[in-house]
Amino acid sequence: MSTVTTVITSYPPTADLLEARLSVSFTYYLNMLERIPGGLIILRYIRSSYKNDPIRSVLELILFLFAVHYFLSSKRKENKSDLVKFSGREVDELNEEWQPAPIVEPVGPLEHWRLNEYHVKGHSGSHVEIEQKPELGTVVNLSSLDFLDLSGDSRMKAAAMDVISNAGVGSCGPPNFYGTQDVHVRLEEDLTRFLDAENAILYGQDFVVAGSVIPAFLKRGDLAVVDSGVNVALQKALVVSRCDIEWYDHNDMEHLEQILEELDPILSKKKPLKRRFIITEGLFSYSGALLDLPKMVELKNKYKYRLFIDESLSIGTLGDTGRGVCEHFGIPRSEVAITIGSLATTFASSGGFCVGVAPMVQHQRINSYAYVFSASLPPYSSKVASEAIKIITESVDASGKSKLIKSLHQKVAHSYSKLQKKFANSQYFEVVSDGNGPIIHLALKPAFRASLDLPDYYGNTVLLTTGKPSRKLNQFSEEYNLECYILQQIVDNVLGAYRAWINREKIVYEQESLPVQNPRLWFHVNNGVLVAELDAAIGALFDVSNKVCSRLRSPNDLTKLREELMRA
Amino acid sequence: MSTLIPNAPPDNRSDEAKIELEYGSLQSPEFLYVSKHPAGQPLPTPVDDEPPYYVNVATLLSFLFLIIIGHIRDFFGKIFKPYDYADLIEKDGYAPWYDGFENFYVRRLKTRLDDCFARPTHGVPGRYINCFLRQRAPQLKYTYNGESTKCLNLSSYNYLGFAQSHGVCTDYALKTVEKYGTSACSPRSAAGTLDKHKECEQVIADFVGKEDSLIVSQGYGTNASVFALMVDSQCLVLSDSLNHASIRFGIRLSGAVVKPFEHNDMRILEKIIRNEIAQGQPRTHRPWKKIIIAVEGLYSMEGNLVNLPEIVALKDKYKCYLFLDEAHSIGAMGPNGRGVCDFFLVDPKKIDIMMGTFTKSFGATGGYIAADKWIIDRLRISYFNSHFGESVPPAVLGQIISSLSVIKGTMNPGEGQERLQRIAFNSRYLRLGLKRLGFIVYGADDSPVIPLLLYLPAKMPAISRKLYAKKIAVVVVGYPATPITTSRVRLCVSSALTKDDLDYVLEQFSEVGDELFMKYRKDAPRMKLEDVLKTNAEDCKRPGFV
Repeated sequence: MSTVTTVITSYPPTADLLEARLSVSFTYYLNMLERIPGGLIILRYIRSSYKNDPIRSVLELILFLFAVHYFLSSKRKENKSDLVKFSGREVDELNEEWQPAPIVEPVGPLEHWRLNEYHVKGHSGSHVEIEQKPELGTVVNLSSLDFLDLSGDSRMKAAAMDVISNAGVGSCGPPNFYGTQDVHVRLEEDLTRFLDAENAILYGQDFVVAGSVIPAFLKRGDLAVVDSGVNVALQKALVVSRCDIEWYDHNDMEHLEQILEELDPILSKKKPLKRRFIITEGLFSYSGALLDLPKMVELKNKYKYRLFIDESLSIGTLGDTGRGVCEHFGIPRSEVAITIGSLATTFASSGGFCVGVAPMVQHQRINSYAYVFSASLPPYSSKVASEAIKIITESVDASGKSKLIKSLHQKVAHSYSKLQKKFANSQYFEVVSDGNGPIIHLALKPAFRASLDLPDYYGNTVLLTTGKPSRKLNQFSEEYNLECYILQQIVDNVLGAYRAWINREKIVYEQESLPVQNPRLWFHVNNGVLVAELDAAIGALFDVSNKVCSRLRSPNDLTKLREELMRA
Repeated sequence: MSTLIPNAPPDNRSDEAKIELEYGSLQSPEFLYVSKHPAGQPLPTPVDDEPPYYVNVATLLSFLFLIIIGHIRDFFGKIFKPYDYADLIEKDGYAPWYDGFENFYVRRLKTRLDDCFARPTHGVPGRYINCFLRQRAPQLKYTYNGESTKCLNLSSYNYLGFAQSHGVCTDYALKTVEKYGTSACSPRSAAGTLDKHKECEQVIADFVGKEDSLIVSQGYGTNASVFALMVDSQCLVLSDSLNHASIRFGIRLSGAVVKPFEHNDMRILEKIIRNEIAQGQPRTHRPWKKIIIAVEGLYSMEGNLVNLPEIVALKDKYKCYLFLDEAHSIGAMGPNGRGVCDFFLVDPKKIDIMMGTFTKSFGATGGYIAADKWIIDRLRISYFNSHFGESVPPAVLGQIISSLSVIKGTMNPGEGQERLQRIAFNSRYLRLGLKRLGFIVYGADDSPVIPLLLYLPAKMPAISRKLYAKKIAVVVVGYPATPITTSRVRLCVSSALTKDDLDYVLEQFSEVGDELFMKYRKDAPRMKLEDVLKTNAEDCKRPGFV
């Protein structure tokens, strides 16, 4: 306090001198200003303002300088205090010393077995030849997503060839720039009709649809309430959209209701209204479970959320005529705000689509990345998908059921009950899916897994607890890798000894943001496979699984398995 | 008259006539050129001509008016015509699908020129493209009378003219459908890998000069998922400021720290690299795990080429990795069509990840990633797009394999060579012609992408409609896809076009350019159309033309 007073009391006479000096240069610059066009007006303004209130002029000058500084400084400025000052030599040294990690993690000896994939020789239908195993001849394909076995159908082929010989293969342009052809529009109309929606939009690949549609409607500040068992496409889409995320337990409607109830008072205060969605799958690709749609619709209407359903696996497989979960439960499609699906599964074509109300689809045509910045679907693929819809709907009989779908449903039901019966007394495996979907999931029994010291679940819970993705990818997990390897041995042996090719779950463990369940065997039921062949495959699966698993009695056996992998 | 887009009308023309309409035959061996960068010489920085300054002022004023009037219309529209704004207003407790701000340019600018976008077509997008005739009706609807008109095609990505319904490639694609069916359906890791996939991957790896490759069913999807495999939040990606949306999306998805650098500015790039390595990660100052430089070979909105020799030198010096997106350059650049590496005589081994698409030059669809075998091995295991996305369908595989074989000369020898030399000639011919007529054109001399600058937003619909009336199909692009002052027409040249076609384009552009006052180029002498047409074929082959 005392120092301040001294400063003021010892106010030097030099201040006057300084002021005089300043006013001289000030007038000089003012005179300069006179010479530029329009300068006179500014000058008059400064003069009059100075006369009335000199302090105001100073304030205005400071404000002006601040404005100039503000406009000139870069927009993405870092926190300067965070930067370390280095001399040129230090920077050189640091640059010299820096050693980057390899661009991708090299495949280690423990993972090497995963590179041995089977390739189909020729057409990938219900019965295939495998390039690596020519000695097997034709094997039964229980790994394909072409559940209705349409990809080799002669009508489908004729449709493809007809378009290719009129319009070539590629569309050579994005849909907004001359890439929209008559066949695309026809398919959009067909999908709209088939799914009883207002409008449809096509994408060039099924995997990108979720990642493009979700960020188009969910931005920062919007809310997504999401099932915690969704697939990686949806996980990534949510991370990219930067919306707020709330998770509910996988397919647990009570938990969902609890969360919606808790959120309700908070949301009702927010103005303006933010967009809110419930995001889930129709037929979950990871668990094989079926969405409880009636309860879901009731909840979403009560709390006023829009419903987003990924129906990649359910459209074409569920419902009497293959119209997905809505038809399965007898609920109108209008209850689902956004439906996305794939054209590359039962429709045996390529690409993906999204259906819903017209303004929603229209918005995507300009604001959805994968639609705007990518070439449109090849015209022949559109025609093929239209043909598939035609084949499915044409086979509808008097009872309103599509014969093709009915036959698939019968085969699924048959396989499911047969598998359940067979594995009821198995020590090692159990059927874990609910029998609705065409892919039947089998997993190691908890007791058996416990005896091998395998963990309950893998992966991390960061996204689940914080809503933000983990800073690091999942580290390679030896146990997960070994468990997958056990399943692969079963796949290999069923194929080698019984000529049936089943599938195992193949998720990219490192990229999963949610906790990862124990890996599963997937039994894809295909309409082109005979019931007798299904029965034989189920018997083979049971025998082989017993044989492979009986070798594993304790965690020690897993260590041996690990060594076996290291040697190979 | 119907509001539905009609089906393609029957086409009774003979096969010969169709072939000619899809791919015009070469008029003279003089109209060929080999595109190649003289080794050792620095890449000339393309001079972006500046328009007179009143054009810039007028452009900004246009946008100002647009914004002001737009807001006024919104304000009164919501009061007097609430029906038209139903999508922007809360309803029954549901938020609108999108807010008014997100949608402002669409509502106020794009609707005015809606007829210039998404013109429905049918048939092959080759030398000519067939557009359905339509009439604008209220509510952004159109009526169609079922007829179509064929327009000279400067809009499709068909650099080498492989968009054809006849010829060796189409025959091969048809045979593949016959044998392999309509789709491989499943993802690669389920039953979706065919022997044809392996064959195709080997063909591509050989073509681009890498050990191995992985093919993906969509180009956008290729980029959108690849970065998550290479980088996480402890890595840095230096991304060219004009990189394609798919690259930016892919980086965002990976969660890596991204620093954009000024387009093609090697000095700034070096400064950023040095500084970033020294500083390390923000806050913790731990060293970056890795740094990836992401660039494109040929920038699709600017027509600029990457400065590959310098960027390779930088990356070697500072131990960074290089991701090169050759979506537009593969096939279209280089004496052998092998992209920018071929053009600049840079060893492909120097580039860590080479990405490209099949949409632009090969008349197919999808993308690839080519790299060393150990990198591709990792991708085969961990690339989630091939575990969840569909695999490349058989017909597309057929088209890729056959078109690459044609380019290499193993199928129908001579044809590939002609296509490559025609695209090189056509690109230079059209570019020089437009420049000499007085238009401002961006990009490298050899680039088949020719952006012609319009500046004023109102000229976008004007030129698009005028040329459409003269049966030339072009693409117009404006804000927000380009910077606010540089609306443009983007011409994509194709081998399928003949010299007469290009002369016709020059004639029409000259006429429309005079009419719409678009010849902004001020620092070079302008030439008359007749003189341009007389001298162009010779002059465009000279290196470094103006």
